[in-house]
Order: sequence, then C-alpha cells, then structure tokens
Amino acid sequence: MMRTLMEKTITFLSWLMTLVLFSVVLFFIGYLLHKGLPVLGRSLVFGETDPMQAILGRARVFDGLFPAVMGTLYLVLLSTALALPIGISAGIYLAEYAPPAAGRRFGFFFDILAGIPSIVIGLFGFSVAVFLHKHFSGRISPCLLISALSLAFLVLPYIIRSTQVALESLPAPIRRTAPALGATRLQNLVYVLIPHALSNIVSGIILSIGRCAEDTAVIMLTGVVATAGIPSSLLSQYEALPFYIYYISGQYADQAELDKGYGACLILLGICAVLFILAGMVKKHLTHRALYKV
Amino acid sequence: MKQSSALVLVLLLLSCCMAAPCLGDPLDAFSGQKGTIKIAGGTAHIPVMTEAAKRIMTRHNDISITVAGGGSGLGIKQAGERLVDIGNSGREPKPEEIERYGLAVYKWAIDGVGVVVHPKNPVTSLSSEQLKDIFSGKIDNWKSLGGPDHAITLYTRDEASGTREVFWEKALSKGPISPKALFTASNGAMKTAVANDPYAIGYVSVGHMDKSIVPVTLDGVTPTLETVKNGGYKVSRGLFSNTKGEPQGLTRLFIDYLFTSEGQKIAADKGFIPVK
Amino acid sequence: MKTSGDAIAKAFFLSCAGISAVMTSAVFLFMIVLGLPLFRKGSFMDIWMGTWSPAEGVFGIGHMIAGTFWIAIPAVVLSLPLSLGTSFVIAGLGGPRLRETLISLVRFMTGIPTVIYGFLGIFLLVPLIREELGGPGMCVLAASMVLAVLITPTMVLFFSHSLMAVDPAHVQAARALGAGRIQRLLYVMLPEALGGMATGLVLALGRALGDTLIALMLAGNALGMPAGFLDPARTLTGHIALVQAADYDSLEFRSIFACGIALYLFTTASVIAVRFIERGKKEAA
Repeated sequence: MMRTLMEKTITFLSWLMTLVLFSVVLFFIGYLLHKGLPVLGRSLVFGETDPMQAILGRARVFDGLFPAVMGTLYLVLLSTALALPIGISAGIYLAEYAPPAAGRRFGFFFDILAGIPSIVIGLFGFSVAVFLHKHFSGRISPCLLISALSLAFLVLPYIIRSTQVALESLPAPIRRTAPALGATRLQNLVYVLIPHALSNIVSGIILSIGRCAEDTAVIMLTGVVATAGIPSSLLSQYEALPFYIYYISGQYADQAELDKGYGACLILLGICAVLFILAGMVKKHLTHRALYKV
Repeated sequence: MKQSSALVLVLLLLSCCMAAPCLGDPLDAFSGQKGTIKIAGGTAHIPVMTEAAKRIMTRHNDISITVAGGGSGLGIKQAGERLVDIGNSGREPKPEEIERYGLAVYKWAIDGVGVVVHPKNPVTSLSSEQLKDIFSGKIDNWKSLGGPDHAITLYTRDEASGTREVFWEKALSKGPISPKALFTASNGAMKTAVANDPYAIGYVSVGHMDKSIVPVTLDGVTPTLETVKNGGYKVSRGLFSNTKGEPQGLTRLFIDYLFTSEGQKIAADKGFIPVK
Repeated sequence: MKTSGDAIAKAFFLSCAGISAVMTSAVFLFMIVLGLPLFRKGSFMDIWMGTWSPAEGVFGIGHMIAGTFWIAIPAVVLSLPLSLGTSFVIAGLGGPRLRETLISLVRFMTGIPTVIYGFLGIFLLVPLIREELGGPGMCVLAASMVLAVLITPTMVLFFSHSLMAVDPAHVQAARALGAGRIQRLLYVMLPEALGGMATGLVLALGRALGDTLIALMLAGNALGMPAGFLDPARTLTGHIALVQAADYDSLEFRSIFACGIALYLFTTASVIAVRFIERGKKEAA
C-alpha cells in the first residue's frame, strides 16, 4: 500500500517537474519573442546606414548591431579554423593510435580542459597578451586574434571528444575490411573511417561553433569593447553580440537601447537555434551521403 | 561645390598657419589620416568619447576609434603600458603615476560626483554625517530617514573607478563602505541600477544625471552643473585624458579635437563643464 | 614509403594531442607564476580564508570562495528534482515519441546562450524578488534560481542517458514479471544507473561553480559574506571579471590568479571524482 502510494507520488512529481522545466524555458523564450520581435528589422542591425553600403564596407553603422554581428562572425570563423585541425588530429590520435594507458592520461587532461571555467581561459588569454606585449611586440594587446585563440582553446576538448567518440563508435566490420585488403592504417583512416564518422564529427563541430558564438566570459577579458566598429585587422579590438547583451543589461540609457538588447538576444538565440538544427540535419543526412560517395 | 571645397582648403591652410584649430571645421584636421586610436579607462568620459569618435569616423572612413571602459585606474595603467593610446581618468593621475609612466595629462572638462536615488524616493536631502552612516551600513533602512520601510540598497564601484575615489575622498572623508554594497561597472551602469531600484542609493558623475534618477542635496547643496561650476558643490573633479609621453599623430589630433570649440561643445552637450 | 607516411601522420596526431595537454597544464602554471607575488607577500592562509579590502592592503578571496558555493550548491539542489523528474519521464514514464521530442528539446536548451538567461533574470526575476521577498533583489537566490535552469538540461541528459543505458534484458525480465513503467524505473533501472547519474551531478556542480555571467549579472557582487539567500554575493568567476579592470602589476590584480587557481583545482577535483565514480562502477559490474 505504502509502496503504491510512493510510486504514484513519484510518477506525479516527475510529470510535474517536467512540466515546470519546460514551462519556465518556454516562458523565457516567449517573453523574449514578445519583447524582441517588434524591434527586429533593418534598423536594429544597420541603424540609419544603407545595408548595402554597410556590407560593402563603404559606410559605417553607428546605431545598429551590425559591427557586433560581424565581430561575432569573425570570432566564430577564426576560432573554429584554429581549433579544427588540432582538435580533429588529437581526437584521431586518441581513437586510433593511442595505447590504452596514454589514452587515459590524455583523456584526463582533456576532461580538465573541458571543465576549466571559461573566465579562467579568458584570464589566461589576457595574461598571454600582456606578456607578449611586454616582451615581444608593443602592437599586441587584447584583440580579435587573442580572443579567437582563447575561444579555440575553450572548444578544443569538445572537438577532440566528438571526433574520438565518432571514430570509436564505428562497428568492427567497417574498421577491419580495408586493412584486410592491404590498406595501411592511414589509408584506412582517410578513406574509410573518417568518411563514415564524418556526420558525427561535423555535428560536434557545429555545436562547438555555437559555444564560440555564445561565450561571453572569455571575450570580455581578451579584447571585446563596447564601441569599435568592424575590426580592421586581427590585432583590432572588436564588438560581439553576447558582450553587447551583457553591456546593455547593465547600462541601457533609455527604452530604445533596452529594446535593442532584446533584439540582440533574439538574434543570438536565432543563430544558436540555426546551428543546432543544422547539426541535427548533418547528423541525419550526411550519414547516407558519406556512405554512398565512398 | 568646388568653391566650397576651395574655401575649406583656404580655411584649413589659414588655420594651420595661425595654429588656431578653432577656425574652420576642426574635423578637417584628420584629412588624409588613417589608422586606429584605442581609448579606454574612465567611464564618465564615454559619452563624449563615442560622440567625438562617431563624428570623426563618419567623416573619415580610414580612421577607426575604439572606446572601452574599465575605470580610471585601468585607463592610466593601460596608457602607461601603451596597451591603449589614450587612457581616460576621472581623477587626476597621481604624481607617482605621472612620473612612473611619463604621462602627458590633458584636462578637458570639469565634472562633479553626486549622490542619487530613485525618483520615487521621498528622501532627497542628506547631511554628510547621514551619508557616511548610510554607506558604512550604520543606517540600513529608509524608514529612519523618512522614507519607506525597506532596506537601503547600496551601490558602489570597484577600486579602479575614479568616480569612487573622488566620492570616497571628498564625500565620505575616506570613511568605510559597507561590504553589503552592490557593485556596478561604470557610471552608466550605476545610473541604470539606481533608476531601476526604488530603494537604491548610489553616486554618479553629474554629467550623467538625467530624469531617470534624482540627485540628493548634500548639506544643503544640490549637485548640478551650476553648483559644481560656481564651487558651491565640493565633490568635483576634472575629466582627464592621458597619453604616454607627448601624443603623436592621430592621438595628438584627437586630443586637440577635444579642445576645439566643437570638442568642447560635445563635452557641454553631454553634461560636463568645458574648460575653455 | 607507405609506412613512413603512416609514421609521420601518427607523429602529427600525437603532437596535436600533446600540444593540447601541455597547454592545459600551462594554464595552471601561468596562474601560479603570475600569482606568486601575492603568495610571497601575505600569509598563505589569509589569501584563501581572508577578506578582500584593497584599501587596507588585504587581498583574501575567502568570501568569494564562500559566495561561489553559496550560489552553486542551491542551484544544484534546485535543479536536482527538475532533472530527476524530467529524466524519469524521458527514460521510463513517457512513450518513445515523447522521449524523442523531449530529448531534442533538452539538447536545444543546452545551447541557449548563458547571457540571455542572465538578461532575462535581471528584468524578470530581480524586481520580483526585491518587491516580494525584500532585500536588494540582486542576490544569491536570483543567481541560483537562474543557474538551476541553466544546468538542468546537462543533468537531464546525463541522468536519462544512464537510465536508458541499463541492460534491456533486465528491464524486459522485470516487464515479464508484471512490473509497470514506474516499477521498472525505480527498482530496475535506477539502482543500476546511480553511478552514471552521480557523474552527471558532479559535472553539473562543476558547471555551476564555473559559470561567470549569471552570478556577475544577478548576484550583486558585494564583497561581504552572504548570511542568507536574499543577500548579495560575489563569486570567484565574478571577481575575475570585475578586477580584470585593475592595474595588473598590483597585488589586487594578482588576487584574481588565486581565484583562477581555486577554480582550476575545483575542476581537477571534479574530474578525479568522476573517474573515481566510474572506476567504482566498473568494479561493481
């Protein structure tokens, strides 16, 4: 009797908790849409500047989010480009080459790396920038490049892990066929294993792009500023969407600025949603394509 | 069209000859220049810096100017280490800072630091003693001051802030600030925080005051542009821009621009007292 | 020819893994070297336990360590029932179609930017707490509530993953004996999944300890030690973000490396704890 009562209570509470969780998050998103949708438009991004002129770099945008959007875009492209080769190679090593003991030891480091708070990575990037400034070149200071390097470092463990898991979860028959026919380990890797694991690797990469786009703690220490325009070089300071949201939340001067903050939230959420859906689609569809091509 | 540009040219030449940049359009001084100016530090300065930057960058597409906050301490330090070109401070750099970094110091406006509360707060006048008791935490409810029965929310700034330093020295006589005080990162953030919290008290640059917050009369003097100007309100300070050594090139032009009639007008429009 | 290509490739892959591992250690070394002036100056324990009062030359981060736990622990406690309930529904109580939908939603939630949660917290939660419960509004409670929502998806994914990883044969056997959904969940799946769920709990705690933005935006960053849930607090991460602005030769600035070291050690401890749990799981199996 007591037992059934307990079982019933737990069932009820479980459904209730699920409901609470999803209503909280749906309420958040609904509120954001309610506040942000009316603001969304050309002037939110471009202010009073002509969009074409702005995109071609002929005119500057002062009252819009364009510099912040471009800053985030540069940041994402750069940090992903920096993290990919190292991350994928390290993942391959762990999955295909590392002896078990070495694999465990490396895995320990990468687990720590994945757990280091992003602000600590930012502090590291900042310290390295100041160190380089003092001892190498006065031109280096916290800037786009330093931020991109720090962010690359931040997402490295995710890329390593998703590559490793994608390769390790391949079934044994796929793994053994090519070597049995005389292929070297590298050939097997390049022509068989990676193509088969590609969809999972790519979807892991796309999710780590999302982390680059949303991270605020790293960049606030390594060169993002409130007003910069579009960065002219790797050594420039820059603006970025998440930092803009943080900045506006503390010091909006009037309702119009606050509305822009909601607009920026919606754009950032939209970017993350698109990346998320993209990752899901890649996982589903690329599998078949990769299998037929090879 | 041609005539006017010829005229501008003549005026420009004239102004160069006379070394009086207030003649003609001061933005012409930047013609043909390219490069970046990095500005950081004092947060009271930010509205003036961004407006000046906007005007210069709108006219000259090859010049980029980045503006960051961080506080006066950061401005002085980063200018001294050449991490930025111009480091702003809302307090005068200390003699040891000037000597250590070889700073050139430019004071281009005068400002005050005033205590502010939310517009709904009936308490708009305090004595120095009451203010010190509020900030030390001795008085922690608005009720004893004639306000609502609700805990006082104290807002303060971090150690790098020049505004904090001036306020602490001149209004609190270096008295303690309660460890319960909440922190804001800039003058703008302080204003927004107080404007959103009916039980708040904080201190902010007089130039940043607007209708969203109410200045508190301190010992009978209300912090306004006038009282700061005529010396009636004592918690005042200069706004400084500092460079390591004499500024060169673009940085020089930017500092000069702040002292032109246009630059000084920007300062006045943003609520500060121009020096010229 | 072929073998030398193979060897070069292997060396390259190894060096990439090596670089990543060396960099991870370099972060820790950097913190220690840069924090050294502070450790030399004061008594060692004062840094970790003491108060922070730069005007008096005191740079203890004791209150920030306390503030970090004051916010992270309630967040995990709040998140635990939400995560357990949701993962029960995903792993056992709901049907397969609901399971797919919920898992996709929870995955999406892990990707919602932290700064957006903070932004909404400022405008929705802080005024509510200030008016209804009193105090400054920016407080431990505001930060831990939002943080709980932030870490729940991660925990749900871990919990439901471990529950569903239980050997299907055991579940089928229980089913054949007439056990209902909730009975299979509670008496068959849950006991076997506890180890994996503990891992999820530790990782979620790590995430809560290491988050910067939520506490920075919602906890008020006051220097004092919080005495209740309505008091403001400053976390280690928030302290790093705030003091970064300071003069970086000063001892004040050096104190943030002590914060970095503390956070790094928390991370390492949680990774070791997870390994410990997993080893225990293997030995039991």
